[in-house]
Amino acid sequence: MAFQFKPSVMLETLPLLAEGLELTIYITLLGLVFGFLIGTVAGLGRLSQNRFNRSISSIYIEIIRGTPMIVQALFLYFGVPLISGVRINPITAGVITIAVNSGAYIAEIVRGAVQSIDAGQFEAGRSIGLTHNQTMLSIIWPQAFRRMIPPLGNQFIISLKDTSLLTVIGVAELTRSGQEIVAVNFRSFEVYLTVAIVYLCMTLSIAKALRWYEKKLMARSSR
Amino acid sequence: MSDTSSMIEIRNLYKSYGDIEVIKGVDLSVNQGEVVVILGPSGSGKSTVLRCINRLEEITSGSIVVDGYDLYAKETDINYVRSEAGMVFQQFNLFPHLSVLQNITIGLIKVRKMDKAEADKIALSLLDKVGLPDKATSYPDQLSGGQKQRVAIARSLAMSPKVILFDEPTSALDPELVGEVLDVMKKLADEGMTMVVVTHEMGFAREVADRVIFIADGVIQEEEAPDEFFSNPKHPRLKDFLGKL
Repeated sequence: MAFQFKPSVMLETLPLLAEGLELTIYITLLGLVFGFLIGTVAGLGRLSQNRFNRSISSIYIEIIRGTPMIVQALFLYFGVPLISGVRINPITAGVITIAVNSGAYIAEIVRGAVQSIDAGQFEAGRSIGLTHNQTMLSIIWPQAFRRMIPPLGNQFIISLKDTSLLTVIGVAELTRSGQEIVAVNFRSFEVYLTVAIVYLCMTLSIAKALRWYEKKLMARSSR
Repeated sequence: MSDTSSMIEIRNLYKSYGDIEVIKGVDLSVNQGEVVVILGPSGSGKSTVLRCINRLEEITSGSIVVDGYDLYAKETDINYVRSEAGMVFQQFNLFPHLSVLQNITIGLIKVRKMDKAEADKIALSLLDKVGLPDKATSYPDQLSGGQKQRVAIARSLAMSPKVILFDEPTSALDPELVGEVLDVMKKLADEGMTMVVVTHEMGFAREVADRVIFIADGVIQEEEAPDEFFSNPKHPRLKDFLGKL
């Protein structure tokens, strides 16, 4: 019996994916907001004068970058409660995983962008009497942030796709929803194709939105 | 603050980078209203001396007093001293994400806590002074090198500094743009601004300086009024240096 492609299945699948899609967006957004905060702190920590801050940040970044996210999610959801005695729900575990994981990569983006700003900018800030923090905040950060946008966009897209790994801890996100539909109708081709297209629409939108934002920032000044 | 007319007092300054000693015992005092030009071959340490005066470089030993404030005393607020000692850089170092006006007002607003309207007024009058009254809303990228450096001078003037340090202010400029920057500097000198200028512009040194200093190998080799300095150089290194120009 030859396989027959039924486009109608794709249309039927789409509404069934809505809840999973919503969860994927929720986890991605929340995860990235916290990931950006963690990444900024850790990235600036790596540039700190203070040795302790530098080591802590480096250790965090190396551990997270050096281990698979799927293992991090399994460890957090199944492993940690055995010691802490507190079970967390899969969605919370998912958000934490995305935040902690993307934070490590964003930290490196932040560090690279800040380091790429010419040292003369810092000196010029200090020489008119701005404090270290004022110089970082008003002079270095706005310029560094602009340079962070393309690599941040990259990271946003990676993190969005990485939420699919959270199926292993039972988060009913987009990919998981697809699996559940396939378990009922056995139409793997149509269902996974639909799931893939939904992901693609989201990643393309992120890329487009960030390009627009970058242009808007550039329009405000000439660099 | 200070009871003498001395603006800068450098005593026995030493500075090393790792094992390499670049400043080997420099003493220098600059009086209020004086224009001191520092000459010397590249790598001689002249920019380093200048950068030590507002502590952009940490010294290895010695002492530096600016307007009565010992830069290395615990009670000295280095941010305050820096706001009183303006700095003009070879590479301008304007803030590219801020407009010309914002480049000039940021110090007034953040350091002097002035309100925006008042800061804008000061900035506009300074832009007028450096000959760029119509560039307030431009961004640094839209300016020529000479215009950038004049904005940088206005930025340091905004803080009403007691002294301005110029670190090779015209070295990064196309030759035809050097004049407009030097003109602004001459104007400041005429108004009595205390200035320490590291430069290769001999004409400026001859015409504007009250005193010319020659630094080579990390020490001051010669220190004279410009007439004497150029017409009757004594140190062989200086003769050699002037001969090469």
